[in-house]
Amino acid sequence: MMASPMDDSKARSSAAAVRLLLILVAITVVLSLLFALQYFLGSPIRLSVISEIYDLDLDPNTALVAVGADDGNIYLWDVPPQINTSPPPDFELAQETTWTRHVWTGHTAPVIAVTFAPDGSTLISVSQDGEIRIWDVASEQTRTSIAAGGPLVDADVSKDASSVAVLGQDGAIQIWDLATEKQIQSVAPDDEERLVVALNADGTQIAAGEGKNAQTWDVETGEPLQTLQGYWEDEEKEDWVGHEKVVTALQFSPDGQTLATGSADTTILFWDLESGKIVADSAGHWATVTTMVFNTEGKVLLTGGKDSKLRTLRLPGGRSTAIYEGHLATVYGAAFGLQSDTIFSGSADGTLRVWETANQKQVHIEWPKYGFQMAWGRTLALWMLVSGLLGAICLWGLWKRRIWSHLVAVGLYLLGPIVVLGLPLFEVISYPLSLGPKLQIAWPLLGLVAWYLVLLVALLREPVALYYEAPQAAPLSEQLVASQQTLKTRFGIFSLAVWIGVLVILYSVLRRFNLDIAFMGHYLRFIMAGSGLTMAVSAASIILAIILALLGALGRLSNNPIANGISSFYISLIRGTPLLVQIFIWYLGLPRLGIILQSVVAGILALGVNYGAYMTEIFRAGIQAIGKGQYEAAEALGMSRGQTFRRIVLPQAFRVVIPPIGNEFIAMMKDSSLVSIMSIWELTYRAQKIGRQNFRNLETFLIAAAFYWILTVMFQLLQGKLEEYMARSERR
Amino acid sequence: MSELTNTPEQEGSEPIIKVRGLHKYFGPLHVIRGVDLDVAPTEVVVIIGPSGGGKSTFLRCLNFLETPSAGSIEIDGVEIKAQEPAGEHHRHIREIRQKAGMVFQQFNLFPHMTALGNIIEAPSTVKGLSKKEAIAKAEELLEWVGLSDKRDEFPSRLSGGQQQRVAIARALCMEPKIMLFDEPTSALDPELIGEVVDVMERLANEGMTMIVVTHELHFAQDVADRVILMADGGWAETAPPSEFFTNPKEERTRQFLAHIL
Repeated sequence: MMASPMDDSKARSSAAAVRLLLILVAITVVLSLLFALQYFLGSPIRLSVISEIYDLDLDPNTALVAVGADDGNIYLWDVPPQINTSPPPDFELAQETTWTRHVWTGHTAPVIAVTFAPDGSTLISVSQDGEIRIWDVASEQTRTSIAAGGPLVDADVSKDASSVAVLGQDGAIQIWDLATEKQIQSVAPDDEERLVVALNADGTQIAAGEGKNAQTWDVETGEPLQTLQGYWEDEEKEDWVGHEKVVTALQFSPDGQTLATGSADTTILFWDLESGKIVADSAGHWATVTTMVFNTEGKVLLTGGKDSKLRTLRLPGGRSTAIYEGHLATVYGAAFGLQSDTIFSGSADGTLRVWETANQKQVHIEWPKYGFQMAWGRTLALWMLVSGLLGAICLWGLWKRRIWSHLVAVGLYLLGPIVVLGLPLFEVISYPLSLGPKLQIAWPLLGLVAWYLVLLVALLREPVALYYEAPQAAPLSEQLVASQQTLKTRFGIFSLAVWIGVLVILYSVLRRFNLDIAFMGHYLRFIMAGSGLTMAVSAASIILAIILALLGALGRLSNNPIANGISSFYISLIRGTPLLVQIFIWYLGLPRLGIILQSVVAGILALGVNYGAYMTEIFRAGIQAIGKGQYEAAEALGMSRGQTFRRIVLPQAFRVVIPPIGNEFIAMMKDSSLVSIMSIWELTYRAQKIGRQNFRNLETFLIAAAFYWILTVMFQLLQGKLEEYMARSERR
Repeated sequence: MSELTNTPEQEGSEPIIKVRGLHKYFGPLHVIRGVDLDVAPTEVVVIIGPSGGGKSTFLRCLNFLETPSAGSIEIDGVEIKAQEPAGEHHRHIREIRQKAGMVFQQFNLFPHMTALGNIIEAPSTVKGLSKKEAIAKAEELLEWVGLSDKRDEFPSRLSGGQQQRVAIARALCMEPKIMLFDEPTSALDPELIGEVVDVMERLANEGMTMIVVTHELHFAQDVADRVILMADGGWAETAPPSEFFTNPKEERTRQFLAHIL
């Protein structure tokens, strides 16, 4: 065929479009790799990320709040006087205003402790690299800097600001006197893991966690004073008290009589330092306890945890009095405001939040720095690295005109951005901020989205797509086959993109439910454990149902009036009443006949009998679908009716009914949730139980829903394989 | 092929099939109106005739796929009368079915089994043959019908002619005394008829007693010992093929032949 002028101009425009595409992809690859490279080498161009707050303190008049952040800065805000009025102003009013912020720079590592001196004139800060700084609050300048040597895992300043205890990564503890700037005591490392250290109010005692125990020492002599470890409260009743996991938070009471310990086992214990006995205990956090602070009278303990929540406990007794929810990540710092009317908290979600204690409502939020969660920065850099490398391979393929490279490029620049950019963008949308700051955070990602859109358009323009779909210099028939295949693959990529996109949106919406993620994490495995029973009940029920359905179908097809009558009565009765009602009747009725069954067995009976009735029709249709010729052929060969049915009819009928049975099984897996009313510990019952106990029904039911979904998806895959196997005799 | 046709020649005089006064009603419809038939061992009888004449019904009555309304049927010494106690009846029917192999117009292979599976199914379930014996026999038969290479194919992958040859092998594997063919080539494309007719001819040449209902006049002319025209539920004419096709006695036969030739 001669090339017409039309073809010629088409070829030219396609060549130009491909050239443009190659340039765009090359730019993308180079920039991505450069960004990743500078990120991992620690250069300054980064996605704006929040500063995680590691400690928080208030000056004695609650006029100034200071937080230590992971970027090595100390951020301070002037607390407006109206916050300290009683009661504090309402949420909306307080949110409008932004407090005056001060940034103190100097530390070169994350600041892990900040404490105001009792007179409020100085602030002591400790950073992870072991630098202790004493700041003059009025001039905002460092007065003294002490190098205690790091790296540190924890530090604490005594309430009177006389001394600082620092805990090194090696487990050694040093105590420094702030007046003389000298080390006054040290404690050698221990075999047990030390994660926290605390000083009492006047700096005469220190305490440190040692594995599941805590230990106190006299600062002056360095002698051990008391080991606080679990013990048998009542050996006969096997009543053991103590922590079951490592101690992660410590606090002396203001009077120095009691030590509070928080642990990764989520409990808090109060120890009498005289006797070493536990005087009160409390549970309530869903994850590791990370910070604790007493109020000035020592009657209330404020705790923060990895579950993003704050709680208050009243002493004596340790009764939980309030929960403060709103933070999105671990709470690392907390303090009581004036008269304990307010609570200040700082978290790894990069926010300082103020709460009123009367209603546990958030009254104010401040950000040391607007930005994304820390993890997104890393994710983006990782994405840049991976997409850069893959993009480079694609670039080579695109240049060589390989079909796969075009498809991979479409996948890469379509699927990746949906996840890598979609999730953080939706996250920013959910921030409690107005549009301005949101755009201020999100613009780099929005820019990237726009760039990827341009890339996708360049990739999918008709001249480009045609250029890559048809193999070079191949016969027309092969070209057509190849382009069909490409269209199919591209369809797959796009529908996958839609799935991922919808999942991203769903995930973001779920996040805005303000779900208790830590709680969900805590009970995930407990609820998940029910999926085994759900599967078992469903599998047993479907087997019972298949047997009943087969008998029912035989009855329906039988000429025997008794069999036919029984079977049609069974179908009519069971299909005429609701499953839930049937379950109740099985559950309540059987015991009256003196038949005491395990509830699981009763549940299987109820489900199996119910589904058997519905599936009778399926089996009947399946058996009737087998032609008369099959019976005749078998009978003409001398096979008996039983042999004919077993060997010839049933196998063929099964192949017909497998897809509908699969559907019934999927339906049954979900209807098995109804047997939760029999107190069977399957998914729904567990979700219900935990949800009710903790007033977290939404969370637990979402977990249950997720597992039902996973189970059905897995089964669908299995069913597909089974059908493929059963259909092997029909393949041509 | 001697094992397939174990009817000794010397019994020639004594008929292997004896039908007496056979009647069949479908409701008020009188389909077969009292026919008699004797078939000698190794004889090949072809029944032709207009559709609705009762040919298929007659054939299906022979192995009781249809229950005769009256009369008696005797095959290889097993006699069944239409009126008989049920228990005895069933036993006789299964005996007769093992003596009479049947090939259907629509092949009726079992779609969920391979060619081999189709052939060994009845011998192993009905006759209790061991799997090994059954397979050895089936392979021999597959070779005889020329389908050794299709041993493990499912019917859906076989052509109509191949399916019908498997069906013949399936019937032969039960070692029947007689073979009944119910329009075995009517569902086949014209170019596939030959391979099936060829197998049937070979079977006839090896001495199998056969009753064939067909429209395949060449087969009737070349292979049949006797040709019967069946019309209106009875025999219109019975004659050797030479006579039947060239010099029919009955007006009904002439009409029919004029119609289809």
